[in-house]
Amino acid sequence: MVQVALSLLLLPLLSAGITLLFLRKYGNIAALLSVASAGGILAFSSFLIFGKDSDQIFSWSTTWFQLSDWELSFGFLVDSPAKTLLFVVSFVGLLIHIFSLGYMADDKAKARYFGGLSIFMFSMLGITLSDNLVMIFVFWELVGFSSYLLIAHYFSTDEAANASKKAFIVNRVGDFGFLLGIIITYWTYGTVNLQELSVTANLDPSLTSTMLCLLLACGFIGKSAQFPLHVWLPDAMAGPTPVSALIHAATMVAAGIFLLIRIEFLFTVEALKLIGLAGSVMGLYAGFCALTQRDIKKVLAYSTLSQLGYMAAAFGLGLPGIALFHLMTHAFFKALMFLGSGSVIHACHHEQDIFNYGGLRKKMPVTAYTFLIGVLAISGVHFLSGYFSKDAILLGAYNLDFVIFSILYLGAILTSIYMFRLYFLTFCGETRSKSSENAVESSVFMTAPLIVLAVLAVFGGFHSLYPAQIVEYLLPDISRVAEMPHHLWMNILGLFAWVGGLLFAWKIYGSDTQSKDPLELKAPSLFQLSTSKLFFDEVYLFYVNRIQDPFFRFLEVMELLFISGLMVRGSAGVAALFALLGKSFYSGKIHHYSFWFVLGTLGFLAYAILGGGIS
Amino acid sequence: METISPSHYLFLALCLFSIGFFGVLLRRNILLLLMSLELMLNGINLALVTFSRTSLNLDGSIFVFFIMTVAAAEVAVGLALLVALYKKRQSVFSEDMNLVSN
Repeated sequence: MVQVALSLLLLPLLSAGITLLFLRKYGNIAALLSVASAGGILAFSSFLIFGKDSDQIFSWSTTWFQLSDWELSFGFLVDSPAKTLLFVVSFVGLLIHIFSLGYMADDKAKARYFGGLSIFMFSMLGITLSDNLVMIFVFWELVGFSSYLLIAHYFSTDEAANASKKAFIVNRVGDFGFLLGIIITYWTYGTVNLQELSVTANLDPSLTSTMLCLLLACGFIGKSAQFPLHVWLPDAMAGPTPVSALIHAATMVAAGIFLLIRIEFLFTVEALKLIGLAGSVMGLYAGFCALTQRDIKKVLAYSTLSQLGYMAAAFGLGLPGIALFHLMTHAFFKALMFLGSGSVIHACHHEQDIFNYGGLRKKMPVTAYTFLIGVLAISGVHFLSGYFSKDAILLGAYNLDFVIFSILYLGAILTSIYMFRLYFLTFCGETRSKSSENAVESSVFMTAPLIVLAVLAVFGGFHSLYPAQIVEYLLPDISRVAEMPHHLWMNILGLFAWVGGLLFAWKIYGSDTQSKDPLELKAPSLFQLSTSKLFFDEVYLFYVNRIQDPFFRFLEVMELLFISGLMVRGSAGVAALFALLGKSFYSGKIHHYSFWFVLGTLGFLAYAILGGGIS
Repeated sequence: METISPSHYLFLALCLFSIGFFGVLLRRNILLLLMSLELMLNGINLALVTFSRTSLNLDGSIFVFFIMTVAAAEVAVGLALLVALYKKRQSVFSEDMNLVSN
């Protein structure tokens, strides 16, 4: 098993290394290598999930390095939540690799792209398999790095360059808190190993504190782009669309939720409550922002934020299994929709404004119908995958915390509105621009993953269809929610949410052929508020430009004056003064030399006579 | 008539040394510098012989032989250098030998 886990981890690294060292000029070979390694990952991880002894937790660790009595280990922990994520990462990862073959076919820097994908797979698998917090942190940074690489794929555009920087820097803010949390964890428990931590934390629950949980949750807030660090994710859509599907929808942003599940035993009641509330508010806020976005990918990005908020809310309600369940179904339908949007963007020659689409259903039937399945799934239409996981969250919230429920329910209505808006504007009505007039259905590399994901988006909610190993972690929470009351009432509410959203969206956007958002005409103030995204970017920019920059300029002046001026230049000046003095002796005139020689001799003589007399 | 005492020799030695000393400090002709150096050595030799004589100890006199030998060698080398320098620079004045640019 150790060999399997190690090869699983090292395979994508090897592929990335070979690609970036030798295959920079051979894009097609690099692409095939990367897809092959993704296939290998799926094979190895299925072996890890279904292999013998798969009903037990597999853990293995060895010393990485040692500093006197402090030891850092390198190890694997494949328990039930890790198996679920492993399945999602390797399966969705492979599909997105295949999709990339089609989407990136004409790209000039194919090798760089596929190398980046392989690095990402390596880092993501690292997070999934790690058995201690320090190792998770290392891979945490590596996914951040690969996300930076891939967002900046079109680095010649300012948008992508800035977005990659923004993503990296905003993540650093969260990771700083995460690192502090890890240090305090070590300080409190004397270990960072997850299994030892869970044993100690269960023995003495008083050791943990809300502060510690919130610091650790900072890592989740940064990586999963939750409030207040959510600003990077919409900008990150500047990367290639398959990257948005893989990293910014299905796996990396979901790693934040996975981290919470890994350290679930540390959380205090207050911390859970806070995370639940923040998550539900995020679900509503992001849904509200998504209402007026014009860029197809940004709508999906805000939708991802909103769904991550749902997962956080589920975790905060004390239903981590449901959070992981929603993570899994969300990975399917959101990857499906992102890939669908990629197919549309590819067909429309990189046109991303949904008001320039329209009528694409007839031109790209496969993309349109699979996308529709994704929309239905995320809106919570009955018996699709999103219905099971989202309504489980809503039902849990209804029974456990009514405030969170009402926020989430509003978010659910918004979800259905903006999703159907997206669908109607893109695929229905008349064509609104030249680039979408000439659109044709994408190649089989792109449609095949769409179909597979659509099947999963339809059936992914039936947990009994999965092998027991994958859904082991989900079952206790699912049955807990299943035993809660008010099922019928929740079904009616859920029906109302998606049908209401559908009708509302149809009324406003269904018959629209303008290039202007009809909401802008009907409710201008609401529209303004939504497009402003509640001024988060402006506030951060204000902070950076007006508070942080002047402070740094002040520090710079101080540095110039004291360190560079007084200390560096000052000491150099003193040395130069001595040098000038010494230089004046070096005149090149033999008479000066002999004069100083004689004077020196006389000086020694005087010392010998006078100084000698004293002793 | 006053007898010649060791102090007369020492005075003469001091005069020779001083003449040589100021010659080294003040002259600009390198040939004369070398000669002045010899003069200083000879002043010292005279003082050494005087002390050797008054203290009835031959060490000083023997030391003088060494100094004369070394001085002869030094002059040979010095003159050879001077000739070489003259060939190169067409001058025997010390300021023309200055390579330091200032």
